[in-house]
Amino acid sequence: MPEAAVGILLILPAILLLLSLTLYPVLYGVWISFFNKHSFFPQQTFIGFDNYIFLLRDPEFWASVWRGTVYALSTIVLQIVLGVAAALLLNEFFPGRNILRGIVIFPYVVPTVVAVIVWKWLLNSQFGLVNYLIEKAGLVDRPISFMGKDWIMVSLIIVSVWQFFPFVVIGVLARLQTIPEELYDAAKIDGGNAWQRFVYVTLPQLKGVLFVIVLLRSIWMFTKFDTPWLMIQGGGAETYIRTLPIYTYMRTFAYYEAGLGSAMAVVMFLALAGAAVLYFRIWRREENL
Amino acid sequence: MHMSRMVALAAALTVGIAAPAVAQDKLVRVWHTETEPQTIKAFNDIARRFEAKNPGIRIEAEGLAWTDLEGKIMASLAAGSPPELSHGQPITCTSLQSKGLLNALDEVVKAIGEDNIWEQVKRVCNVGGKQFGLVHAAGTSLLIYRKDIADKAGLKPPKTWNDLLANAKALTQSTKGDGKIDIYGITLPGDNLFINILMGELIKSNGGALFDNNNKPLFTDQKMIEVLEFWRELVKYAPPGWEGDGYLQTFQNLYGQKAAMMFQGYGRGAGLIEKFAPKEMANDKTFDVWSKPVGPSGKAPGVQVDEEPWMLFKDAKHQKEAIEFLKFFYQDDNYLEYVSTVPIHLFPITKSLRASPKYQNLEMIQRWKGWIEVQQGYLDKDQGKPTLVVDWSDMTEKPYLLEVLGSGIVRDMVMDVVLEKWEPKRAAEKAQRRLEDLLRNKGYLKG
Repeated sequence: MPEAAVGILLILPAILLLLSLTLYPVLYGVWISFFNKHSFFPQQTFIGFDNYIFLLRDPEFWASVWRGTVYALSTIVLQIVLGVAAALLLNEFFPGRNILRGIVIFPYVVPTVVAVIVWKWLLNSQFGLVNYLIEKAGLVDRPISFMGKDWIMVSLIIVSVWQFFPFVVIGVLARLQTIPEELYDAAKIDGGNAWQRFVYVTLPQLKGVLFVIVLLRSIWMFTKFDTPWLMIQGGGAETYIRTLPIYTYMRTFAYYEAGLGSAMAVVMFLALAGAAVLYFRIWRREENL
Repeated sequence: MHMSRMVALAAALTVGIAAPAVAQDKLVRVWHTETEPQTIKAFNDIARRFEAKNPGIRIEAEGLAWTDLEGKIMASLAAGSPPELSHGQPITCTSLQSKGLLNALDEVVKAIGEDNIWEQVKRVCNVGGKQFGLVHAAGTSLLIYRKDIADKAGLKPPKTWNDLLANAKALTQSTKGDGKIDIYGITLPGDNLFINILMGELIKSNGGALFDNNNKPLFTDQKMIEVLEFWRELVKYAPPGWEGDGYLQTFQNLYGQKAAMMFQGYGRGAGLIEKFAPKEMANDKTFDVWSKPVGPSGKAPGVQVDEEPWMLFKDAKHQKEAIEFLKFFYQDDNYLEYVSTVPIHLFPITKSLRASPKYQNLEMIQRWKGWIEVQQGYLDKDQGKPTLVVDWSDMTEKPYLLEVLGSGIVRDMVMDVVLEKWEPKRAAEKAQRRLEDLLRNKGYLKG
C-alpha cells in the first residue's frame, strides 16, 4: 500500500471524529433553521427562509444584536487595556511577583457560576460590600441598584472583564518574557523614555499575540452566554442585557422554536466568520505595509 | 494469553457486571422544586422510610431551581428518559398533558380520598375528569405590610387600587427627617416569572382576561391598559432599581426595612422574617397581611396560588412504584412532616390534615394565624388561580401559556411602560403583535 494511503487511513478516524463532532452539528443547525421545529418534540414543517425573514423584521433580534455588540466591544477593549497593563507590571521585578502572578490568574480559573454569585452578592443593593464602601466613601448618598436597568450592563461588563482579563495577561506576559533585552538597551541608548520604549519596542513585539487574543476574545465575547445568563437568574433587569446568545437561547428553550433559534445561531456564526475574515485581511495588509 | 482465555475472561467480566444489574433496585426518580434545606431533609426522610417498607424500590430525589426545571423536563422527554415524577407549573402540566406525555394520578387521588382533597386543588391539571397533576401543597400570594408603620399613619386596608396607591404613598417615608426616603411604600419583583404572576393577578382583579376563546390576545383591551397604568403608578413608590429585584430580594427589602409593603409576598416570608428580621420585629404585629385590592373594572381580588402539581410521565419506567410512593407521601404523618417544614406556605391539600390538631397546633401556624386565614379566604372564595390562569378553563383550553410565560413578552410590555415611559397603549400594541406572532407560529391562532 502506498505510504500516502497508509497516512490517510491512519488519520481517517480522527478526521471522521472531528467531522462528526463539529461539521455535523453545524450543518444540522443550518438544516433545521429552514424548519418551523419544536425544540423537543418531533414536530417540524419546512418553511424555507421564513425564519430568516422573521429575524430581519424582528426588533427584538436587532436590539439583542446591539446589546451584544456593546457588551462584546466594551469588554474586549477593557480586557486588552487591563490585561496588557497587568502583564507589563508583572513583567517587572519586585518582591512577591510570583505570588501576584498566581493571584492574577485566579478570576479565570474560578467557575463562572461561582464568580457571578460572588459578584451579585458584592453588588447587592441591600447588603453588598461595594455599596457599603462607596456609600462610606461619600461617593453616593443611597445604594446603587447594580442589577437595575441603569447599571446591569455596567455590572455585567465589570464581572466579565474581571473574569477574563487574566487570559490577556497570560498571553501578553508570555510574549513579553521573550522580547530580547537588547532591543530595550538599544532604545535606551537612543534616548527613548519609558513611554517611547513601550510604543516603539514593546507594542510592535506584542502585535502578533494581540492579534490572536483579540480574535479569540472577540469570538468568545460575542457568543458569551453563561455570564449574562447567570447575572439575571433570581433577579436582574434581564431585558437590558438580553444579548444575541441569550435571545437565541430564549427562542430555543422558552419559546421552544428550535428552527428560529438555529437561524439566529447561523446568523451569529456567519457574522463572526465574516468579521474574522475581514480581520485577517486587514492584518495581512498591515503586515505587508 | 490465548484467544479462548481472553473470551472466557471477557465473558466472566460481562456476567460479573451484569449480575448485580439483574438484582438492581427499581429506581424512581423524583424532581421537585422545594429547595429549602429542612424541606429537602423531610422529603428525603420520607423517601428513606418508603424504601424501608418497600424493599427493591429506590427513590432518588433531586431539588431543582425553578429556572432549570422546564428545560430539564423537556430535554428528558426529548431523550425518552423522563423522571417518574416531577413538579411543574400547573400550565406546564396542561401543556404536557395536551401532548399526551402524562399519565393520570387517579389512583393516588383514590387512595387519599377524593372528598378529602380541596376542590381548588382538584381543578389543577384536571382534564376530562382525570387528575393529571396532583398539587404537592398550595399557598396563595399575599399583600404583606408593615403594620406598625401603617397603624402609626392611620392607614386602612386598601379595597381598590387607588387605595393601595394612597397607602404606598403614605408609607414612603423619610424616617430620619433628613428628607431622604429610607422606607419605600412597596417592593415589587422585576424578574420574568413574578411579573407574569403579577400580571395574571392584576388582570383577574380587574375583571379582564389575557386571551379570548379563539386564542386572540386581549392585550389592547381597556382592562389591560388600566393594569399597566396602575403598574406605572405603583412603581413610583418602589425602591429605585426595583426592576433588578428577584423574589428573594423583595423579601430582603421587606424584612431589611427598605420597603413597607410587599405586593407579591407568600407564606414562606413568615419563616424569612423570623430568621432575618430584628427579633423584636419578627412577628405578625409588625408584619401583617391585607386582602388584595380590586381594580377599577373588577369586582373581586385575584391572587396567584403557588401549587405545583406532581406529574407522572408516560415514558417513565417505574410508574407503579411512583404511584405507591405518592400514596405514601400523602399519608397524614408523612405529609405533615413535609408541610410543617414551611407551614405558612405549604398548605396541605387534604382536608383531614388541614383540620387535624397536629397541623393546627404547629407553633408557626399559631404565630402567623392571620396569614393563614387570608390565604384560606382566597381559596374558599375561589379567588386564587395558578400563574397566568384567569379562568379555570384556561388550564385545558390554553396549553400555550407556558410559552407565553417563557417568552418574556409580558415582562417586556411592563418594562416598556414603567421604565421606558411608553404610553400603555403603545406597549400593549407591541405585546399584542408579538403574542399574535407567537401563537400563529405555534398554530393556535389562525389568520
